[in-house]
Amino acid sequence: MTQAATTEHHAPVEDTSTGLNSRKLMMWAFLGSDVMFFGAFIATYLVYRGKSLIGPYPSEILNIPITSVSTFVLLMSSLAMVLGLHYVKTGEKNKATLWILAVVVLGAIFMGFQFVEFREFAHLGLTPRTNIFGTTFFILTGIHGAHVTIGVLWMAFLAYGSHKGTLRADNSLDLEIAGLYWHFVDIVWIVIFTVIYLISATDGPPPGMESVIHG
Amino acid sequence: MANLWRKLTYHDGNGWWNLPHGPSNELNPPHEGPIGGAWLMNMFRTMTHGGVEHAGPGFYWLVGAALGIITLLEVWLFGVEGLGGWYIPILLGLSVLKFVGVVAFFMHLRFDHRMFTYIFTSAMIIGILIFSLILLFAEIAFTPPNVF
Repeated sequence: MTQAATTEHHAPVEDTSTGLNSRKLMMWAFLGSDVMFFGAFIATYLVYRGKSLIGPYPSEILNIPITSVSTFVLLMSSLAMVLGLHYVKTGEKNKATLWILAVVVLGAIFMGFQFVEFREFAHLGLTPRTNIFGTTFFILTGIHGAHVTIGVLWMAFLAYGSHKGTLRADNSLDLEIAGLYWHFVDIVWIVIFTVIYLISATDGPPPGMESVIHG
Repeated sequence: MANLWRKLTYHDGNGWWNLPHGPSNELNPPHEGPIGGAWLMNMFRTMTHGGVEHAGPGFYWLVGAALGIITLLEVWLFGVEGLGGWYIPILLGLSVLKFVGVVAFFMHLRFDHRMFTYIFTSAMIIGILIFSLILLFAEIAFTPPNVF
């Protein structure tokens, strides 16, 4: 357990060997490990990029305008998150609840976009078993989607706590730690959106294979 | 020019790139001007209401708007032809801007205890190094099997 002391600047200091809050330190360490986790899948996607021998290929299937909207939604959820944290810290309960709820709604909208995208891809013949693009794409975006799902549930729990008054300025660290997780999910998507969607969206068959594939 | 450089890189009298020494759980760190210099600080104070020197809703809206604009720019670039070899570096640069914007200001790393920055940055550096090597080896020494 940690206790907060007060400095001459009225800033609480954790009574731990590091002077840092252990829960917050743990979350940052976890996020550091999650960097490796996502990095592995992104690197795998890049290693196998453009190696699929059969379609559908990214150029035939990725929908940049739709994904741009979902990316914008996730970015705005990060804004809502930081505003929610601000209002929890300033003790403005109604505003805090509203913004945390906005995170839940925006996160759910993002999940909806992903669900529709996956269904559309399946309809067009792309599943994790179709080709190496499908495998690497669905694993990477699916794991990210799982992270978003966990975050939405976590935020819903905290929104309820804010509404009931159990989430207050004195325990706002609960929301701050959840917020770190949520922002991390956002920055992972920033990378995925750039690497998979914007950079790979024009990928077709491997060079020299087009005539073989299409006769 | 030197003055402009000082304004962009100095932060409350210290180099902007110097990380804060503050405790990890200050509610409103007092040194939250994003970049130093009188006119920037005045603009910042105006946006964050009431002349306070910590980030407030106005500042967060500003960062959010910047992130949205960068995303629009990325999508616009996607439709621009003739960028050639510049396309990927520009996109990666914009992506890094968004990444840093979220990590520094929304995740408060810019204002939080430096230990958190060290932890996260170390993970980023190790991760990027390892995965760059994987990509390099895959490119020069290993051809992934064309399974299907």
